Amino acid sequence: MKRIIILILSFILIVLLSNCSNSLDEKVVQLHVKNDPTVSFRIWFKVGSQNDPVGKEGLASLTANLLSQGATKNNSYEEILEKLFPLAAWYSCNASTEMTIFSGRTHLDNINEFYSLFIDGILNPAFEESDFNRLKDQALNYLKTNLKYSSDEELGKAVLYNDIFEGTPYGHITTGTITGLENITLEDVKDFYKKYYTRDNYVIGIGGGYENDLLNTLIKDLDKLPEGKVQSIPTPSPKVVDGFELTIVEKNAPATAVSMGFPIDILRGSKEWYALAIANSWFGEHRNSSSHLYQVIREARGLNYGDYSYIENFPNGGSRQMPPTNVSRRQQIFEIWIRPVPNETRHFSLRAAIRELKLLVDNGLTENQFELTRNFLKKYVLHYAPTTMDRLGYVVDDKFYKIDGSHLERFRTMMDKITLEDVNNAVKKYLQYENMKIAVVTNNAEEFKYNLVNNVESPIEYSSPKPQEVYDEDEFIKIFNLPISEEKVKIIPVEELFK
Amino acid sequence: MHKIIQFSIVILLVSLIVYASAEEKVFPYEVHETILENGLTVILVPMDSPGLVSYHSVVRTGSRDEWEPGKSGFAHFFEHMMFRGTEKYPGPIYDSLITSIGADANAYTTNDRTVYHLNFASEDLEKVIELESDRFQNLKYSLQDFQTEAGAVYGEYRKSITSPWSVGFEKMYDMAFDKHTYKHTTIGFERDIIQMPNQYDYSISFFNRYYRPDNIVVLIVGDIEPNNTLKLVKQYYENWKEGYVPPQITPEPEQKGERREYVKFDGKTLPIIMIAFKGDAFDVNNKNVLASYLLEELAFGSTSDIYKQLVLNEQKVQFISAGFNFSRDPGLLSIYSMIKNPSDIPYVENQVYNVLDKFKNELVDEEKLEKLKKRTKYQFLMRLDNPKSVASSLPMFLTYEPTVDLVDELFSNIMKLTPEDIKEAANHYFQKDKRNVIIVEGVK
Repeated sequence: MKRIIILILSFILIVLLSNCSNSLDEKVVQLHVKNDPTVSFRIWFKVGSQNDPVGKEGLASLTANLLSQGATKNNSYEEILEKLFPLAAWYSCNASTEMTIFSGRTHLDNINEFYSLFIDGILNPAFEESDFNRLKDQALNYLKTNLKYSSDEELGKAVLYNDIFEGTPYGHITTGTITGLENITLEDVKDFYKKYYTRDNYVIGIGGGYENDLLNTLIKDLDKLPEGKVQSIPTPSPKVVDGFELTIVEKNAPATAVSMGFPIDILRGSKEWYALAIANSWFGEHRNSSSHLYQVIREARGLNYGDYSYIENFPNGGSRQMPPTNVSRRQQIFEIWIRPVPNETRHFSLRAAIRELKLLVDNGLTENQFELTRNFLKKYVLHYAPTTMDRLGYVVDDKFYKIDGSHLERFRTMMDKITLEDVNNAVKKYLQYENMKIAVVTNNAEEFKYNLVNNVESPIEYSSPKPQEVYDEDEFIKIFNLPISEEKVKIIPVEELFK
Repeated sequence: MHKIIQFSIVILLVSLIVYASAEEKVFPYEVHETILENGLTVILVPMDSPGLVSYHSVVRTGSRDEWEPGKSGFAHFFEHMMFRGTEKYPGPIYDSLITSIGADANAYTTNDRTVYHLNFASEDLEKVIELESDRFQNLKYSLQDFQTEAGAVYGEYRKSITSPWSVGFEKMYDMAFDKHTYKHTTIGFERDIIQMPNQYDYSISFFNRYYRPDNIVVLIVGDIEPNNTLKLVKQYYENWKEGYVPPQITPEPEQKGERREYVKFDGKTLPIIMIAFKGDAFDVNNKNVLASYLLEELAFGSTSDIYKQLVLNEQKVQFISAGFNFSRDPGLLSIYSMIKNPSDIPYVENQVYNVLDKFKNELVDEEKLEKLKKRTKYQFLMRLDNPKSVASSLPMFLTYEPTVDLVDELFSNIMKLTPEDIKEAANHYFQKDKRNVIIVEGVK
C-alpha cells in the first residue's frame, strides 16, 4: 500500500513538474548568446488589429503606441526619455495584425536601470489624456495625409490588403480607419489594455547575454498582470476572388503604382511552404536583382525601380531589405508589387506581370532555375537575421507558427531535400493567374478602366533601342488577354479612402 | 552550418570598452590598413563572426563630384550601371554568380560617396574579390543597356517625388547653394535625368576619371584571415591603373542674407518647415564641426526643451528634429518640423530661433553634455555586433580620410568638448544671414 501511495505521489509530482515546465515552455522563448554584452527583449502579447472592435479600428495599434510612447504611473513620458537617454537603450511597442510586441534592448552594464523602466512601461501605463491626444492625432494624420499623398506604393498596398480581407478582422490596416480612430476614447484604450494585456496572454522572448535571475524576475513581474483568458478569433476566411477585381485609386499621380494578389492557404513550416518559397524567390525575391519580374520589367525594359512577389506578410517593403519579424498571420496572401511605372505604360506593365505569373504557373521552374535559386536561398537566409534581436524575432515567430525547432535552420536544410517536382507541384497547387485583386494608384482612372474593360492593345514605345527579343516579347505582352468586366472595376478618389 | 546559423557574435564589448577607454580607442576591433602601389586603400577588420563576411567598396565620389552643368545625377546613375557587368562576366552572368553564392548585395549613393556592399559566406571570399575587382576595372555596357538603365533611374525619381519631403529637400538645396554642386540632390535635377539617355560618352568619361584605385577604399570585415585576404586583394587589384582626376568644384561664396521660399506640394500634407544654416567641411580638429554634431541632439533631440514644448506639451507639431550631418565640403545644418496647423508656422519658426539664441547666449548644462557624450559613444558601440553593421558604420569616415584611425580621433576629440565650445559653435553657425527657410504646404 505504502509503495502504491509513493508511486501515486511520485506520479502526481512528475505531472506537476512537467506542467510547470510545459507552462514555462509555453510562456518563454530564449536565445541565450554567451558573451553578448547586450540583452534583447521581445514580449509578445497575443493581440493585434484583428482584435479591434468594429467601429474602433486602430485601437490595438494606438494602445501599443501609448504603452511605449506615453507616461507610466511612476514617470512622465518626458522623464522616461530623460532616463533612457544616457543608457543609449530603447523600448518600443508595436501592433501588427495578430501580434503586439513590446521590445527593448540595452547593454548589460545598464540592465538594472533599463529593466525598471521597461517593466514599468508594461505594468503601469498611466494612459494620460495628453499622450493619448498626441498619438491619436499622429495616427489620424498618417491616414488622412501621409499615406494618401506621400507614398503611392504604400497606398496601393494598403488598398490591396483592405480589399482582399474586406469583411474579416484583417480587413483594415493596422493603423485603423479614420472613423474608427475618431471614435476611440481614452476609456476604450484602458479597457483594451485590461482585456488583452493579461498574465494569460503573453509569451516572453529574451535573448543575449542575460542571467537566469533576470528571466526569473521578468516572469515574476509579468505575473503581476491581471488574470484574463482571451478568446481566440477564428482564422479569417476572405471572400473568394472571382476573376480580376480592381480598385483604381484616382489621384493626380505622376506615375502608376500597382499591387495585386490573392489569399493562399499555406504557412511556413511545411515542406510545401519551402518549395513554394523557392518558386517565389525565383519569381520575385524582395529587392533583389535575382527576381525574375525585376529582370523583365526593370532590367530589360527600364520601366521602374523594381518588381517583387511575396508569400508572407511583408509590411514597409520600401524601407527594408530583409523580411520583417513578428508580423505573423494565420492567413497569408500571394502578392506582386510593381513599383511606380510611367502612366503611359501602366496597362503594358500590368499585362507583363500577370503574363509572367501565367508562364510560371503553366511551365514551372526549369532545372537550372531551381538549382540556382535553392543554392541562393541556402546562403541568403543567413542574412535574414544578423543580430541577436533579429534572431529573437524569428524565435518568437517559431512559437507563433508552432514550428518545432528553428524556421531559419529548417529553411536551409529543406533546400537540400526539396526537388524540382516539389516546387512545381507547390506552384500548381497554390498559385494561379485568373482570380486576383488588383489595386492601382493612378490618374485618369476612367480612361484606364475603359482600356482594361475593352482589352485595348497596349503597345509600348521606348526612348532607347532594345534587343530584338524584347520587341518580340512585347508583341505578346501588348495583346495579352486580361478578361476584366466593367462591374469588377471600382474607381475611388483618393480623398474617399480609409474612412 | 550550425556554426554559421548559431554564430554567437563574440563582441566582448564590456572588456573592450574598458580596454578602449584605457587606450583612448573607441573602435573595438583589430584593423589592418594597407595602401597598394596603385593607391588603392585596403582595410581589413577580422572579427569573430563564424562564416560571415561583409565587403564594402567605397568610392570617394558622390553627387558632389558632378561639377559639369547638365550632368547632375551621374554618381547615382553609376550605382546602377555597375551591375551591368564586364566582358568576362556580363550582367546576367554576374547576377547569377552573385545569386549562386546567396550574397546580400546592394549599393547606395550620397552627396559625398558611392558604396557597393555585399554580405556573404566566408567560403566565397575569393569569388567575391574576383568579381568586385573585375567590375571596378573592366565595367562594360552597351548603349542599349545604358539607355534602359536611365529609364530605371527616372523610375526611382518618380517613386520618391510623390513625397512632400523630397519636394522640399530638392528646393532647399537648389535655393541654398549658388555655385557649389550641393545645389542638386543626389538623384540629380529632373531635367538632367531626362537627358541621361543621351549622355553615353560622358558616362564613360565619368567612370574613367572617378572609378580609379586611388579614389577607392576596399573594406572587408568579418571571418577573414588578414594575411591571406590581403594576398588575394593584391592578386586581383594590383594591375588596376591609377588615374583619378579630381573634380573642379566651385566653392560656394559666402551667403549674405536670409533666403526663403514657399513650395506648393501637389497633394495634401501638413505644413513642413525646413530651416538650414550653412555649415563647415568635416575636419576632425575643427571644434565647431564636432560641437554641431552634439548640438543636433542637445537642441532638437527627444530630451530637448523644444521637443518637450512643441511635441509633448503644446502638441503643435507632429515632430521636430535636426540633421547636423558631417559633409566633405561645407553643407547644411538642417532643422525640420511638421506642423499641425498652418497658422502656427510663424510661431514654430520663432521657437526654433529662440532655442538657437539660448544656445548662443547660455552655457549648456555640464552634466547633460557629459551624458550625451557617453550616449554618443555607447550608441556607436552597440551597433557594432555583426560584420554588416561594423562595415556599414565606416564608409562615412573613410570618405573624409581613408583610415579607421579617424573614428578614434573623432570620439576622442568629441569627449574633450566643453560647454564653451558648444556656445561658440552655436554663435558661429546660427546667423540670420546664413539662414535658409523652406515652407512646404499642400493643397487645401
